[in-house]
Amino acid sequence: MDKNIKILVCDDEADFRKLMNYWFSSKGYSIKEASSGDEAINIIKKEEVDIVFMDLKMPNMDGIDTIKNIRKFNKEIPIIVISAHVDDPKASKAISLGVSGIFYKGADFEEGLALLESVLRTHKKLKDK
Amino acid sequence: METTLILYIIAGIISIIIGILLVSFTNISIYVKAKEKKTEDSLYIKDFDDKIYNAVKEVISDEEKAKILNEKFTKIFGSEIKKQIENQTKEIAFKYEKIINEKTKSEEIAWEKYKKVVLEKKQTESIIHSIAEGLVVVDSNGKVIMMNPSAEKLLGISKEKKIGKPLLENLKDEQLISLVKSTPESREKEIELLSSKEETKKIIKASTAVIENEDGKTVGIVSVLSDITKQKELDELKSKFISNITHELRTPLVAMDKAILLLLSSKKDEFNDETKEFLFIIQRNLKRLTNLINDILDFSKFEAKSIKLKKEPVLIEEIIDEVIKTFKSWADTKSINIVKVCQDDLPKVNLDPLRITQVFNNLINNALKFTPQGGTITIEAKSNPEKKLLEVSVKDTGCGIPKEELSKIFDKFYQVSSTSSEISGSGLGLSIVKEIINLSGGNIWAESEGLGKGTKFIFTLPLE
Repeated sequence: MDKNIKILVCDDEADFRKLMNYWFSSKGYSIKEASSGDEAINIIKKEEVDIVFMDLKMPNMDGIDTIKNIRKFNKEIPIIVISAHVDDPKASKAISLGVSGIFYKGADFEEGLALLESVLRTHKKLKDK
Repeated sequence: METTLILYIIAGIISIIIGILLVSFTNISIYVKAKEKKTEDSLYIKDFDDKIYNAVKEVISDEEKAKILNEKFTKIFGSEIKKQIENQTKEIAFKYEKIINEKTKSEEIAWEKYKKVVLEKKQTESIIHSIAEGLVVVDSNGKVIMMNPSAEKLLGISKEKKIGKPLLENLKDEQLISLVKSTPESREKEIELLSSKEETKKIIKASTAVIENEDGKTVGIVSVLSDITKQKELDELKSKFISNITHELRTPLVAMDKAILLLLSSKKDEFNDETKEFLFIIQRNLKRLTNLINDILDFSKFEAKSIKLKKEPVLIEEIIDEVIKTFKSWADTKSINIVKVCQDDLPKVNLDPLRITQVFNNLINNALKFTPQGGTITIEAKSNPEKKLLEVSVKDTGCGIPKEELSKIFDKFYQVSSTSSEISGSGLGLSIVKEIINLSGGNIWAESEGLGKGTKFIFTLPLE
């Protein structure tokens, strides 16, 4: 897998962002952190980002609204949503917005990594076509 | 000779008089009447006197003697008859008085009873009138017989316009119509009365009962309506609060759990055994806390009835295999053997796989907790085509449950009394299991031969 990939992690919880950063960095990915939807949108507009982890529950602009705003100017970038719980009604709403996967906060980071890599593979295949 | 003749005559006269007296006594009522009417009385006495005189004269030709004899007899029998009449009159009067008294008494009782009934009716009416719950009584034709002010207020219709008329008349609200059409199967229902203004929106609970006459024929329906708007709002607030608080509780737990996991996986070599042991303790207890919070969140959702099953055709055997895999390492630490006994060709069942997995997790989790070293846990699944059911059981060789507690173990927060304090849980696991099984259309119960003899949990699921 091409490890020159830049992941944007958008979550209002600094600790969780740091842990994600630590984990994915240790796996060779480069990480960019955003603490709000606005910040994430700015980063995607200015920098080259390959994939986004987007928390759904955030103050002000929540994950759903942020995704809607991103899709206005970038229809390509794959987004994996971060959801607190299996029953989160927002997660099913996100699926209808065309996100690539759901990563549950309670799940192991290994699962997150597997999900990330499978999404990247699918995306690459689609791009190559 | 003459004296014997006179004696014969006297005997004859006596017998005649006795005859007359007998007739008179049998007609005693006539005497009573005669006593009441004086003129008739004297006429009668005269008639009587004449009769005796004629009888005496027939035997004694001497008019003077006959007269004397007549007077004497008349006097003797007259007074005797008078005495008898008086006695009889007294007796009759006494009896009459007694009858009158009794009649008056029963009339008094009837009046008392009537007064009591009226009073009770008034009391019942004033109770019905003043209770906060609405009361509507409808006859078998759907016509309103009774309606109290609370019902008028709740339904927003006036009694005058409704009594004796079909309740459905002029009712535009479909929800309200459903109230009247309640069947015995839907004894309780909640109706939302829509309103243009949010503040006046009402949620009404209607409890309906069918009124039957002595022959068991339905003669009407009585509905008790209560306004549960406030209660509903509170319930919603409560579930929202629990949902929020559990989310807030879970977030830091997840961060801690992840941090320790990263420490243990990537920096393992930097720690000595003692540090690692402490990290394991933290990790184990974080897991426990997370489970507790998940249970509470799940339970609050079941209570708020906000859980919807995502059903799909599932092979139960696949779920059992997955669950056994999850518990394998824990079971190994206690040398407990988990055995699967599945009937071949089990059909697919329409289930929510995540929720059914949760059922197995809770049951096996309990079984592992309560089964000592070297025990066995048997998971069995078979179909019962006759009852169109899938029967699944989880049996352990653990400490068992006393018979008298078997029915209580599904109650929330219930812990079997003999449970040692070392084994702990939220006390919600089995309540959640029961909720899921019931939501899936099945049933669950437990069997145990008693303490020390293991426990078997059996649940059924409908086969389509």
